[in-house]
Amino acid sequence: MSVSVMVPTLLRPLTEGQKKVEAQGETVRQLIDQLDQRYPGIKGRLVHDDQVHRFVNIYVNDDDIRFADGLATVIAAGDRLTVLPAVAGG
Amino acid sequence: MSRILQQGGFAWRSGACLPAWQSLSAALARHSECLGLRHQDSQAEPDSPALQLLHSDLRPLQTRLVGLPALPLELSTEFTLQAACGLMSVHGRASGRPQALGVNYLASINAALAWQGTLAAAVGQLRGGAFTDVSLAPAGGALLSIGQYLAGATAADEAEQLLPGQDDALARPPFVSAEGVLFELETLDSQPWRRFWTALQVSDAIAGRAWQQFLLRYARAVAPMPAECLDALARLPLARIQAMAADCGVALVVLRSPAQRYADADYPASAAAPWQMQHGPAAVPGPRQAPATLPLQGIRVLESCRRIQGPLAGHLLTLLGAEVIRLEPPGGDPLRSMPPCADGCSVRFDALNHRKQVIEVDIKSAQGRAQIHALCADADVFLHNWAPGKAAELALDAADLHASQPSLIHAYAGGWGAAQVDAPGTDFTVQAWSGVAARVASASGTRGGTLFTALDVLGGVISAQGICAALLERELHGHGSQLHSSLLGAADLLLDRDSGALATSLLQGVFATADGLLAIDCQTRQQYQALTQVLGAEPDPRHLPQRLADASGEDWLDACQQAGVPASIAHQDLAVLAADPRLAPSLGQRAYRSVQSPWSFT
Repeated sequence: MSVSVMVPTLLRPLTEGQKKVEAQGETVRQLIDQLDQRYPGIKGRLVHDDQVHRFVNIYVNDDDIRFADGLATVIAAGDRLTVLPAVAGG
Repeated sequence: MSRILQQGGFAWRSGACLPAWQSLSAALARHSECLGLRHQDSQAEPDSPALQLLHSDLRPLQTRLVGLPALPLELSTEFTLQAACGLMSVHGRASGRPQALGVNYLASINAALAWQGTLAAAVGQLRGGAFTDVSLAPAGGALLSIGQYLAGATAADEAEQLLPGQDDALARPPFVSAEGVLFELETLDSQPWRRFWTALQVSDAIAGRAWQQFLLRYARAVAPMPAECLDALARLPLARIQAMAADCGVALVVLRSPAQRYADADYPASAAAPWQMQHGPAAVPGPRQAPATLPLQGIRVLESCRRIQGPLAGHLLTLLGAEVIRLEPPGGDPLRSMPPCADGCSVRFDALNHRKQVIEVDIKSAQGRAQIHALCADADVFLHNWAPGKAAELALDAADLHASQPSLIHAYAGGWGAAQVDAPGTDFTVQAWSGVAARVASASGTRGGTLFTALDVLGGVISAQGICAALLERELHGHGSQLHSSLLGAADLLLDRDSGALATSLLQGVFATADGLLAIDCQTRQQYQALTQVLGAEPDPRHLPQRLADASGEDWLDACQQAGVPASIAHQDLAVLAADPRLAPSLGQRAYRSVQSPWSFT
């Protein structure tokens, strides 16, 4: 199923400058794997040791996947995935 | 108690008080005591410098405070400068309306900057430079304090527009228990946060939304918390919440009054001076190149700092001419990617770090530590803000690095100083513990302190000031040192028992006009009478709004300035402030509106 992914400024060099790209997958993990095939290197910026990178927040619609099932969070057609760099304490 | 320059044989002369900003003169005097300088005498002439530093090895050094052409200093007060330079706007984001912090914040910041510039000039002289005159623009100091927010509001792409009063002032931290006790929560990790709210039976979806706001409060100065979170806490007594927080690994700090802070065992030492310095080995700094245009040219600083306090200290040192090398983890500081970004870097990060070189070092590896030792061999200052105990754990403490460079100033910009508090020492936990939050709350009509990172900024200024003092001490007496400062020390200085009280004003407020907000602050009878003349009637606060609605803020400001009444436009939107021609002399342009050095040296 197709999901739109909102790409933060710093990852746009990897997506040929696009702010919004489409990707497929049943879960966030599958979707990131599929994104990485089209835009090599993006996975390494989002995921480390099969966990969301400590300084990245990923939202399915408005929900932070760390407060759902992490990379196993299920996504549905029409969902919007947003990546936001976020560091606590400043 | 250690006052850095106490044994240095320094004296100083104070200048005439600014008529409408006596707290700035009081803060200059307070800082001189903290530094250990002997007060020689006062000069009463109105055009005398704000301070002169005297020492047998120095040509007399004088520092003047200067206004901007359209913001004259004699018509500036703590209140009007907080309005003109955006502090009211940032503090207002989460406090309901544009309003002052209610503490002598800009007096403290600018007193620290004035001494910092003076001490740096003295270092420059001793290193062969010809610096005798320093000037400091307090408006520049004020703008520096909100530099990151200004960057965020003026980025070319994805600029933030966060206005005063847009959020409910009661739906933000601090939190409230069933018995009405106010407290801060702190964690830098999402999982303790999630466990805590799960224990409170708040859904993951809500806890996740709260986390995003909570996480970003440092950057955005807003943190609207979902009603479900606030309601869940309001049903439980504090003791129960404390137990749950402890179980889940979330720190909880109850808001205390300034009086409670004054009664702490560690308070007297902290109030005596915000720095603790210990001499290191006897050592004369290496070969010197005389500084030409800025006093700290030729001084090299290694900075291993995250977030605001430490990086701001490093930024100030670059403005004084020092070469600052940032040590960042492999891959770079994650804050580089925080939006809004321009040219591949967070503008907020850039505002504090663009004048520095960067070297990526893995401080946890033996190779990385060896690299730091090697870099220290050519450095004058090592500045870090690691968690307590980490420097010792990494074998990068003062004694370790003095082995590589005996003349090094090993500086730590920490959180709690000597206080034993079981919580991360961050801006908001320290505001709560120190009484700053309570003081700001009572002045602002809110529950808690400011979400403007007031202590990180002041702590950074204090750290840089201490480093300048330690460099001066080293030039005179030839030894390395270890220097600690903290957010709590900065807070104690801000709420100083003797000089921290706000000036009483005959009339003070932020008023709507036909176009824009106007801040007015009549500190003297003469100013009050002048305002009466401007208005054509006694300035009764009840009728003022009606009267001021007759003309624009700009027109009223012109009239007030001509009559000698301290007033300023209270900008609500930082993007509008960035375009104010009055502030232009203190601003620059990068991919966002940047802030220039507040000092000049001749």
